[in-house]
Amino acid sequence: MYVRAVPPTDLNRNTEWFTYPGVWTTYIIILFTSWFMVLCLLGCSAGTAWTVVHLAHFIVTYHFFHWKKGTPFADDQGIYNGLTWWEQIENGKQLTRNRKFLTVVPVVLYLIASHTTDYQNPMLFFNTLAVFVLVVAKFPHMHKVRIFGINGDF
Amino acid sequence: MIAIPYLTALSTYFSYGLLFAFGQLRDFFRKIVDWWRASTLDGYAPICLGLEDFYIRRLYLRIQDCFGRPISSAPDAWFDVVERYSNDNNKTLKRTTKTSKCLNLGSYNYLGFAAADEYCTPRAIESLKKFAASTCSTRVDGGTTMLHTDLEECVARFVGKPAAVVFGMGYVTNSAILPILMGKGGLIISDSLNHNSIVNGARGSGATIRVFQHNTPSHLETVLREQIAEGQPRTHRPWKKIMVIVEGIYSMEGELCKLPEIVSICKKYKAYVYLDEAHSIGAVGKSGRGVCELLGVDTADVDVMMGTFTKSFGSCGGYIAGSKELVQYLKYTCPAHLYGTAISPPGAQQIISSIKVILGEDGSNRGAQKLARIRENSNFFRSELQKMGFEVLGDNDSPVMPIMLYNPAKIPAFSRECLRQKVAVVTVAFPATPLLLARARICISAAHTKEDLVKALEVISGVGDLVGIKYFPAEPNKQHQEHGTIKLE
Repeated sequence: MYVRAVPPTDLNRNTEWFTYPGVWTTYIIILFTSWFMVLCLLGCSAGTAWTVVHLAHFIVTYHFFHWKKGTPFADDQGIYNGLTWWEQIENGKQLTRNRKFLTVVPVVLYLIASHTTDYQNPMLFFNTLAVFVLVVAKFPHMHKVRIFGINGDF
Repeated sequence: MIAIPYLTALSTYFSYGLLFAFGQLRDFFRKIVDWWRASTLDGYAPICLGLEDFYIRRLYLRIQDCFGRPISSAPDAWFDVVERYSNDNNKTLKRTTKTSKCLNLGSYNYLGFAAADEYCTPRAIESLKKFAASTCSTRVDGGTTMLHTDLEECVARFVGKPAAVVFGMGYVTNSAILPILMGKGGLIISDSLNHNSIVNGARGSGATIRVFQHNTPSHLETVLREQIAEGQPRTHRPWKKIMVIVEGIYSMEGELCKLPEIVSICKKYKAYVYLDEAHSIGAVGKSGRGVCELLGVDTADVDVMMGTFTKSFGSCGGYIAGSKELVQYLKYTCPAHLYGTAISPPGAQQIISSIKVILGEDGSNRGAQKLARIRENSNFFRSELQKMGFEVLGDNDSPVMPIMLYNPAKIPAFSRECLRQKVAVVTVAFPATPLLLARARICISAAHTKEDLVKALEVISGVGDLVGIKYFPAEPNKQHQEHGTIKLE
């Protein structure tokens, strides 16, 4: 019932909350809850609901993990202003457990979404595009890479 | 180590996620609305990027009435809190002329010197008449009065070091001294929960900073070994200087530092120890000399001892105590000494008088009584809270006790309900604490009487039931246990 929380050694308060227990479970619960809400509100089939959740998840996580740079507090004095949230977590160390988990979630969502829509076009195309962009953005080689200068610093 | 109920952790993340989502939605609409309106900036860059003050605008301002409450009397055990109201949902707060007398559980008033004291206040008023309210000068120009030299000797004697230097502000003491002591090519290893002044000073120094897990000497040893073996980044040359920075009592946890182990590890690897005793000087230890006396560490083993006068001495300012050569060097180089204004003379006199009271040199044993009272009060309060089922952090004998709240909605609920019942508490949330671990921090004072503490316990227990923060099972009353055994027999 109780979990132990050890304060991590990460000084970046924008990302250190991710190392505490319960984050993964909350993430998965939010995904399931939003699928359920979409089903209730739109009254569509389960497969369409999963596609909607998958694409919404793509937009939200791409925007907050890979597009927005910096931290939401001013007293970090802009030392993280060139880094997106993905590049900030765990001080830039690659291939940690958290990063692997975050890479697997969009792939699993893609598999569920495409399975429940029976791999039909056009949903399959959008789903594949979304998961491709997300997984490539999370590669270790893409750390601090800005393609064509998109989202680069001034 | 904090034990969080798992469901509470999940609900806290969910609440913060919801707050974040709503904040982003409002920002999004604000951006659309502002696009149509003409901008007054006209070619200038905006002062802050939209993302930087997101937390302040969308989360902090909603519960702004729980922070920064103005008071209109001295911060004694009971004080007057000015009532405020807001017409636009806490974006701006307006003061009224009404005040309410509340029990003060938030001021750093450990020994009760914050209010008028029979020994200290007449002497402070005399020095105000003799020396005026400010020296109007830096220490090196014309700001060193007899009071300042007396104060430095007094502090050095009290702390147990050969010499000391005092500054006008406690925060500045850390952030101006660390860049002097360490430079590029040095290594600073600091505890992960160190105060913001230390973090800023370390960042300003240009040295490489490494963090070790809070209060874990074994992890400190691992980090030291790794860093000494690797050397400076990129060049791998040996480090010029290594300094380990720890605090005596951590203000957000109420925990004591594991000083004996840390000092022995630093001696083994020849690293300097910098001890920040802001909350522990004057409040712990048999004669109030701080965490070294309490844990039995020889002060000669700690290289730099820093502290502030705000907490136990009822004044303001900070000091650094060390060897004579160190203090002499600091007096030549530290910008806070060379360019910052000196401590105001009545403030300095207050510190000297309060140290005399603590040591018993004023002829009475009020100092020893105060120290005994704060120890009794803290232990009593902490054990009662734990019996009621609250999750209270901190070690025994520590006058700082945070009560865990966790959920962001419980922070304003606890704060406002306690204020309505005339108990003023300080609540702390993200980003001063980690995201999950929001807390209400209680600071016990020697000025609190037993009745005050009992009243506070009643109020906190009632509010705790309403808000739902009794995360641990409450210990059953002794009477019920006795009845149980009698019935069985």
